[in-house]
Amino acid sequence: MTRDLWKHLILILGALIVIAPFYMMVSYSFKSPGEIDRGEGGFFGRQEMMVDERCVKLRDPNREDVAAAVPRFPNKTDSQIRDALVAEAVSDCQMRPIVFNYSKAFTEAPLLRYLLNGVIVTASIFLIQIVVALPAAYALAKLKFWGREAVFSLVLFCLLIPVHAIALPLYIMLAKIGLTNTYAALVVPWTISVFGIFLMRQFFITVPDDLIDAARMDGMGEFAIVWRVMLPTAIPALLAFAIFSVVAHWNDYFWPRIVVTGNRDLFTPPLGLREFKGDGDGSFFGPMMATATVIVTPLIVAFLVAQRRFIEGITLSGMK
Amino acid sequence: MADLQIDQVTKTFGDTQVLKGISLDIADGEFVSLVGPSGCGKSTLLRIIAGLEGQTSGAIRIHGQDVSGIRAADRNLSMVFQSYALYPHLTVAENISVPLKMRQLSAVQRLPVIGPFLPGSRDKNVEIAAAVKHAAQTLEIDKLLDRKPGQLSGGQRQRVALGRALVREPAAFLLDEPLSNLDAKLRVQTRAEIAELHRRIGATFVYVTHDQVEAMTMSSRIAVMMDGEILQCDAPDEVYHNPLDIRVAEFIGSPKINILPTEASGGVLRCGDVLLPTLAPNELNGPVLLGLRPEALRLASEDAVLKGQVAHVENLGSEIFAQISLVGQEGRVTLRATPVQRRSLRIGANVGIAFEGRAALLFDSSGKRVFNPHLIPAHSEVA
Ligand SMILES: Nc1ncnc2c1ncn2[C@@H]1O[C@H](COP(=O)(O)OP(=O)(O)O)[C@@H](O)[C@H]1O
Ligand SMILES: [Mg+2]
Repeated sequence: MTRDLWKHLILILGALIVIAPFYMMVSYSFKSPGEIDRGEGGFFGRQEMMVDERCVKLRDPNREDVAAAVPRFPNKTDSQIRDALVAEAVSDCQMRPIVFNYSKAFTEAPLLRYLLNGVIVTASIFLIQIVVALPAAYALAKLKFWGREAVFSLVLFCLLIPVHAIALPLYIMLAKIGLTNTYAALVVPWTISVFGIFLMRQFFITVPDDLIDAARMDGMGEFAIVWRVMLPTAIPALLAFAIFSVVAHWNDYFWPRIVVTGNRDLFTPPLGLREFKGDGDGSFFGPMMATATVIVTPLIVAFLVAQRRFIEGITLSGMK
Repeated sequence: MADLQIDQVTKTFGDTQVLKGISLDIADGEFVSLVGPSGCGKSTLLRIIAGLEGQTSGAIRIHGQDVSGIRAADRNLSMVFQSYALYPHLTVAENISVPLKMRQLSAVQRLPVIGPFLPGSRDKNVEIAAAVKHAAQTLEIDKLLDRKPGQLSGGQRQRVALGRALVREPAAFLLDEPLSNLDAKLRVQTRAEIAELHRRIGATFVYVTHDQVEAMTMSSRIAVMMDGEILQCDAPDEVYHNPLDIRVAEFIGSPKINILPTEASGGVLRCGDVLLPTLAPNELNGPVLLGLRPEALRLASEDAVLKGQVAHVENLGSEIFAQISLVGQEGRVTLRATPVQRRSLRIGANVGIAFEGRAALLFDSSGKRVFNPHLIPAHSEVA
């Protein structure tokens, strides 16, 4: 009983440590800059009306504005009209911090475009990874050919190569063939996933040989076996792989930062976060955290939707 | 439907020769069982016939045509696996339809989503569905068509596997221990059903099993395999009553045949202190193994030549098997008795054993059968 209690206490502590940054992120995305600076307002902030200084500054009336406003304010001096206009601007630029943060997240940078890019890039990477990894894994697991063990050793060896070590040569190659600043540069280097090949091979090993032989007797060729038999039986393992692949590439900052230079149309969501860094008027934490929240939300939603199958996939208990 | 010829097939895995020159002709419509202990190479032979494994040398001919180099999919054979090997993600109906779909639909027509709407696929799909329904009705699984294999019992899965083999008309059916994962009762039932199915469709069946009872009850012929060789291939009756090798005699029949070591000289067998006249050929000398089936032995009066003590009795209701330790011999012999004789088979009772001379099977020291050229006269009793 007490041992369980300790176990749970330790787990809760661990969970708190993991959750803390998320908590901060979501909480900051709700608060006004002042609340963030002073560290007050609890989780949601007080949601008091705040004034967007930049908005006000942008509407700072010049001489023409004042002249144009004369008919609306008869019998007033210019400086009185000016004050009235500023007051109007201030009241127009008032909003709740949460609205401020999230509207800034979407307007300051084309976040939707970035999200779309993220979807295009991660989906392409994952699909091509499957197209490559499944036949390769099938061959390594179930076909007998000369040099199979050697090829598998190579796969294992490639698992040990850190991406950062080969980033530069990859970049140079892509630059040489003029592919930097394209979707291809974001996708192509990741299409052969040795981890995917390894993971799927380990799963395919557990698929009974008889099933494959039965498929052969039923008239399937080897590729038909991969797509019609191995793929459907491997769904749980594929989902496990999808977690690793999609999360890694959705959240990747390093590689897009290298191959996408300047062309904001190709920015992926993590690059979008950068838009709020070092802004002229100081740190812009609220909208930045709102952007971060928007970026991680698709992953969290996807996880919740497929939670049961994900956990199945990780335990690799698809067969039987 | 077609005949199969297996011609001097050998198979070597690394250094071990698993098949040592197997030859077997299987006629069209025959039900041949390959029976032998585990590891004797039955599955390997079946897989070579199917084209799932290549032979090291020799040839397989289907309907006279050498199929070496033709892949499994194109040999037009159906196979049922011991583990059933059903596609876990497909329903029963889809499982059964796979062999037809792969053969009758083109690659485009098999595509998901758009495939069914292509010209021609509709008619073919209707045909296939009808064939699946028919096969399912034959096997009485038409109520299960929408289930997944995971929701079926062992016996039902077994039927689905049969259905998948049955749904098209292959040159021959290959079955690799299809009943060994079923419980004893279901095994007996399915055994009869498969035999009946064979009679009904009249196709060629090659049936692999390690269970001699299955082989005996279902086959037109039994090929007894041991250590990569076919020792004998004959009708069940012949294999049982007229085994050509002591290993065949010992493998076929339950309870096992009784083997008594004897010495032959001048037509007489000496078994310990006991002399058994007129059994052996006159010119045979030296060690001879005398094989006697349990049902060949009868209880006789205590002054019979073979005497012993009842050591253990198994009463099966319809018959009784008594183990008797022979006087002056190591080991026991098993004797089949009728329930009427139950009373004379008290443990420890002294009994005599008699048998008919013609029932005696003689094997030389290398295990080959020795035939007695002098016909043993009918009803020559050894008592
Ligand atoms: N792929 C293989 N590689 C090496 N040895 C094998 C292979 N397949 C079967 N064997 C060996 O061949 C022998 C016969 O196997 P098998 O045909 O499965 O026997 P059975 O079906 O009669 O039980 C066994 O000793 C087995 O270990
Ligand atoms: Mg076997």
